[in-house]
Amino acid sequence: MDRALATALTERFGSTLLTPVRQRFDETEIRVSVADAIETLRALHDETEFAFEMLIDLCGVDTGEEMQVVYHLSSSRSGDWLRVIVPGIDRSAPRVNSLVSLWPGAEWMEREAYDMFGIIFEGNRDLRRIYMPDDYASHPLRKDFYLADDASRSPAAGVRNMERAGTPVDATRGTTLRKSPGA
Amino acid sequence: MTTPLTKPSLDDPRIAIPAASEWYEPAPTAQTERQAEFLNLRDGEMFVNMGPQHPSTHGVLRIVVKVNGEQVVDLDPVLGYLHRGVEKLCENADYHQAICYTDPLEYVASLFCEAAPVAAFEKLMDVEVPRRAQYIRVLTMELNRIASHTLFQGWMALDLGGITPILWSFIERDEIVDMLAALTGQKLLYNYYRIGGVNGDLNHEFMSRLGNWMSRAAAQIDSNLGLMNENEIFVRRTRGLGTLDAATALRMGVTGPNLRATGVPFDLRRDHPYLVYPELEFNVPTRDEGDSLARYMVRIDEIRESIRIIDQVLHEMPDGPVMAKLPRLIRPRPGRAFGAVEGPRGAYGVYAISDGTDQPFRMRIHDPSFVHLQLVGPLTRGNLIADTMAVMASLDPVMGGVDK
Repeated sequence: MDRALATALTERFGSTLLTPVRQRFDETEIRVSVADAIETLRALHDETEFAFEMLIDLCGVDTGEEMQVVYHLSSSRSGDWLRVIVPGIDRSAPRVNSLVSLWPGAEWMEREAYDMFGIIFEGNRDLRRIYMPDDYASHPLRKDFYLADDASRSPAAGVRNMERAGTPVDATRGTTLRKSPGA
Repeated sequence: MTTPLTKPSLDDPRIAIPAASEWYEPAPTAQTERQAEFLNLRDGEMFVNMGPQHPSTHGVLRIVVKVNGEQVVDLDPVLGYLHRGVEKLCENADYHQAICYTDPLEYVASLFCEAAPVAAFEKLMDVEVPRRAQYIRVLTMELNRIASHTLFQGWMALDLGGITPILWSFIERDEIVDMLAALTGQKLLYNYYRIGGVNGDLNHEFMSRLGNWMSRAAAQIDSNLGLMNENEIFVRRTRGLGTLDAATALRMGVTGPNLRATGVPFDLRRDHPYLVYPELEFNVPTRDEGDSLARYMVRIDEIRESIRIIDQVLHEMPDGPVMAKLPRLIRPRPGRAFGAVEGPRGAYGVYAISDGTDQPFRMRIHDPSFVHLQLVGPLTRGNLIADTMAVMASLDPVMGGVDK
């Protein structure tokens, strides 16, 4: 656990952080709003006191109430993983700024988050589905994704009668939406 | 009485020839700016499909290549042929079941795919792994790394058109696979790591096989290398091909041997230490050239370092239990954890979110091959078509992990 990193982050990004810096084992976690996300990441990358030059992971999270985009960064200056959570993205129209200008390697990870959650990354020039077919209707990792219903709308609809489900209204009846208090 | 066979003629009215518009699939419509750029053909250019069943694509990958004569102008990898939705499956499985879903992600080195989620779950549960179990994990992971790298060596030669090295590299790999099979009961998808330890202590058969192999491993691997390192065709073909510089590699999110081949000594075992790696002595091999040959050489050096690590582990392994005391039903408190290990291809990471139930609320799996596959486009632009395969082989992606 790198205490110095937490102090440095608080000093540098004080008002930008939505919650105080959290640390557990070798992980340091900060939360920034959608508007501040790219500037914060740019500062973390460029400023020599942080030098978070490596983007290890970018992923979307659906908490059932909101969308999040989570970045994991690594720096040669610290033995800690830095987790930057961008919470509070509207579930009905998720939209954030793209990281491609800073890390071109984020392009496919953003495409994946778009494919799985429907999060739109503004500024990504190639934002299309990466795993699912182009004519696929929904986003599989969303918490309201209901498998049978979606299969009935997929290109294979009607192949096997067993897989054909009712209307979306029927489909949501009886299924519970998991919501995370922890995320 | 049989009718005489006659040669069918196109004038025969029974033969219906479809109109030209039915012969060809309609060209896909561009959804994005980048795709529109890609689909726009200039004079003399054409599209060639590689895959999805091309023998040298390391799995089921399709690459649409835009070529001008023999030269690659641009390319667009099409993924998803192996997509199984592992992240979704894990959300609907309990913590123990989720580990075994991650096994087939990278079928060449599946112990690393287990190690990352196990590390994340252990952080969620706040459990200390017994020291003997930590040593066993390091031992088995390094064995698996050697198996993966020797297979890479053979694969790369195969992609360049040499058949012999893969036959030799399978000798070492088979020996390690049999060894791990004696330990875990499985040949490829081991499912050996548990939250809080490993499933079963080292057994006699494993140890005797390992001792037998260790006595000749270094010499055997060196003699196999002579097939390629001293092969002029191989060296000339790969030197200077697909050169990647350190700045681009960092911006592209490259990790593992591909990054170390550009001169950046980043290794999770050293920079984000886990298990007992801080107590072991090993070097982080790097090369400065950043070309396909450098990526090959870094992996060869890593094999030697792995043998060194195994040697130390065998000398220092303590006695004791191999499992921590944990309840059968894993139910971590709500929270988040990121576990990562240095695999043979780069950093495997798992970001797990718990909501207090016995199933992970979200389990993100980061696979390095996915990121590295993005490089195939930038590195092969302007090269010959045959070099696409050479560059891809040197990046060593495994499609099971790319497609998840």
